[in-house]
Amino acid sequence: MLSHTLRRGTLALATLVALPTAASAAEWGDISGRFVYGGDAPVAAKLTIDKDVDVCGKHNLVNEELVIGPNKGVANVVVFVRDRKIDVHPDLKATEPVVLDNLNCRFSPHVVFVQTGQDLIIKNSDPVGHNSNVATLKNPASNTLIPASGETKVSFRSDEAVPAAVTCNIHPWMKGWVVVRDNPYAAVTDEEGNFTIKSLPEGEVELQFWHEKAGYLDSIVINGKKTDVKRGRMDVDVSAKGTDLGEMVLDSSVFK
Amino acid sequence: MTHFLPFLVTAMNRHSTFMCRNRFSLSPVALVLTVCGSLLFVSGCGKTPAASFRPNMVEAAKQRLKPEQEEQVATILEAMFGTPDNPIAMPETGLDIGKLRLAAGPVHSDIVGRKNGLFREHCSHCHGVTGDGMGPTAAFLNPYPRDYRPGWFKFKSTERADKPTHGDLVTILNNGIYGTSMPSFELLGEAKVDALVEYVKYLSMRGEAELNMMRYFFELDDEDEGKLPETRDFLVEEILLPVAERWQEAEDAVIEVPEMPEVDLAESIAMGKELFYGNKANCVKCHGVTALGDGQANDYDDWNKVVKQWSDEVQSSHEVSTKEMSREEKAEHREYLARADKALAGDALEPRTIQPRNLRQAIYRGGRRPIDFYYRIHAGINGAPMPAAAGTLTPDEIWHVVNYIRSLPYEFDGELGADRSMVARDRL
Ligand code: HEC
Ligand code: HEC
Repeated sequence: MLSHTLRRGTLALATLVALPTAASAAEWGDISGRFVYGGDAPVAAKLTIDKDVDVCGKHNLVNEELVIGPNKGVANVVVFVRDRKIDVHPDLKATEPVVLDNLNCRFSPHVVFVQTGQDLIIKNSDPVGHNSNVATLKNPASNTLIPASGETKVSFRSDEAVPAAVTCNIHPWMKGWVVVRDNPYAAVTDEEGNFTIKSLPEGEVELQFWHEKAGYLDSIVINGKKTDVKRGRMDVDVSAKGTDLGEMVLDSSVFK
Repeated sequence: MTHFLPFLVTAMNRHSTFMCRNRFSLSPVALVLTVCGSLLFVSGCGKTPAASFRPNMVEAAKQRLKPEQEEQVATILEAMFGTPDNPIAMPETGLDIGKLRLAAGPVHSDIVGRKNGLFREHCSHCHGVTGDGMGPTAAFLNPYPRDYRPGWFKFKSTERADKPTHGDLVTILNNGIYGTSMPSFELLGEAKVDALVEYVKYLSMRGEAELNMMRYFFELDDEDEGKLPETRDFLVEEILLPVAERWQEAEDAVIEVPEMPEVDLAESIAMGKELFYGNKANCVKCHGVTALGDGQANDYDDWNKVVKQWSDEVQSSHEVSTKEMSREEKAEHREYLARADKALAGDALEPRTIQPRNLRQAIYRGGRRPIDFYYRIHAGINGAPMPAAAGTLTPDEIWHVVNYIRSLPYEFDGELGADRSMVARDRL
């Protein structure tokens, strides 16, 4: 398909490295990049706190749908590898559980990444009770009561094509996201907009970019040029030297 | 994956719902699925136009499916599940075709004078022919009749995330759902109730398979060119089995209920009360300090939430300025909005909030036996905001809360104020 070839053509420019010589998983490399907000960063709206006001009201909670760092980095962009069959670096076998905390009446971190089979511990560090309602689509949804200093364990048998929202029915303003993949190759950008996916097998992988407010990021300004990234997917060459996708600008219009 | 059969007769097949079909009009998908000779083809050609299942327009619009993608889903579904008049039970579903035939079709008597068409006679005016909860009377009822398609059920003996057992659904049909418009069907007798339960499972599996397919388009690789692979492997392994297996697993997912602890009832109630209003069980946050169900008034159940959230999204898309869009983008945007508005108006019910139960009225939808309360508190109410207490409360603690709940309609609490508790009781 024409658009398909074009897309690959344009995006090859974004990768700063040469094609790998052998696609064996003897060599491993990292992919990194940075998402930047194009335009003036909007001011996050204050949330209305109408439950457990004495506890939750003192944290100056704001809407975290779109978090832009002081240097215009776009936080909470989810980057993951789409390839279903991918060699996994032996050091990356997930054993430790991942923790999602109910802290100061918000979810911390705002976006959490967990692999299939790995435990997600949802804990509650607040002095008030919460419940965590995980709206997965392929895995059975769960919703458990978590008292102060309590915790609950969730695990997933199947990956999720789209990150699943996690909410608290007691405190309706609370919202976070759970990314479920069946390999370790996913990352979430920090407040600088930076992400790194470590130790990928050398060769071509297909990345997908997602953000809660924008959905799949299908329009990214790369090297000053607005680029159509079909369904937020991008083919990237992984080199043992490391692959830096550089600065990718997300126009304010992406976030509607 | 290889596409070993071309996909040609979609349009013909779709339109044949209103024609008398012969056995040669089987689509290629149907053929793929009959590899093991599983497909039973009945020629149910009557005089009246055949009823058809309604596609899930909300999901189709949400996923921005193209017309040919909607057609593909409809064709595959028909090959897998048949039509409202001619159901198909693929062996992977574990469904009994004999029972389905009793429940399916227009109301009529068969050769031995047995009455068929039970679902359309007793259920579809509320639940719809498709089981989408949008029968002709649905909009006037509160709560709305259940939409079986997402596969969520509320009042059951299994762990929260699991499907109900066959027996759970039989109980619901026998008892009805007290406090709602859902009547009891006990008088139909065991065999008919059994057939209807089988048919509810059938509609639910069909609806979930449809959702799975509609969502799958987004996961396709470019090489798939926007089409679901029509291989038996894909359709069975990726679409049908993930749903069917969960129904089969339900029978093993029943919550274990230990004996009620041997303590004095008054003591147990007192402990339950402490838990109910305390920070650990937190029932008070939703059911209110009065237990009148007034602690949380603006939440939605999952069925309504799906519509509400999407409708909000569409609303804000309406407000997006189209000034900077290209002509093409503008047209696409308008088309999406028109389609979304149409789906929301014609294929979804106006979203409504859900109220936590008033626990002083002694009206319980999922049964009033102690064990029913145990299940409700242990697993919460699937599809509703009420969370599971299992893991947080010990089984003994759950029993104390059960005992407190059972005492609530008769509790006289000075703090509540005599008039309020009287009001609650008068409604009985
Ligand atoms: C007058 C309308 C009406 C009719 C007729 C009706 N139902 Fe229902 N049904 C409802 C309503 C309303 C609910 C939802 C109650 C709730 O959400 O609390 C419901 C819920 C259900 C549920 C879900 C129970 C659960 O645990 O989630 C099943 C299953 C069901 N109905 C099956 C049937 C079958 C089978 C028939 C025909 C034999 C039927 N209903 C006839 C109104 C109706
Ligand atoms: C996040 C809000 C929330 C919390 C917390 C909550 N509930 Fe509920 N509860 C609800 C809602 C909403 C319903 C109504 C569900 C429906 O109609 O489908 C309900 C229904 C019920 C019912 C009625 C079941 C029936 O068969 O009709 C009981 C009993 C109940 N809750 C007890 C409890 C107890 C005990 C606790 C604490 C352990 C609790 N709830 C905590 C929201 C909540």
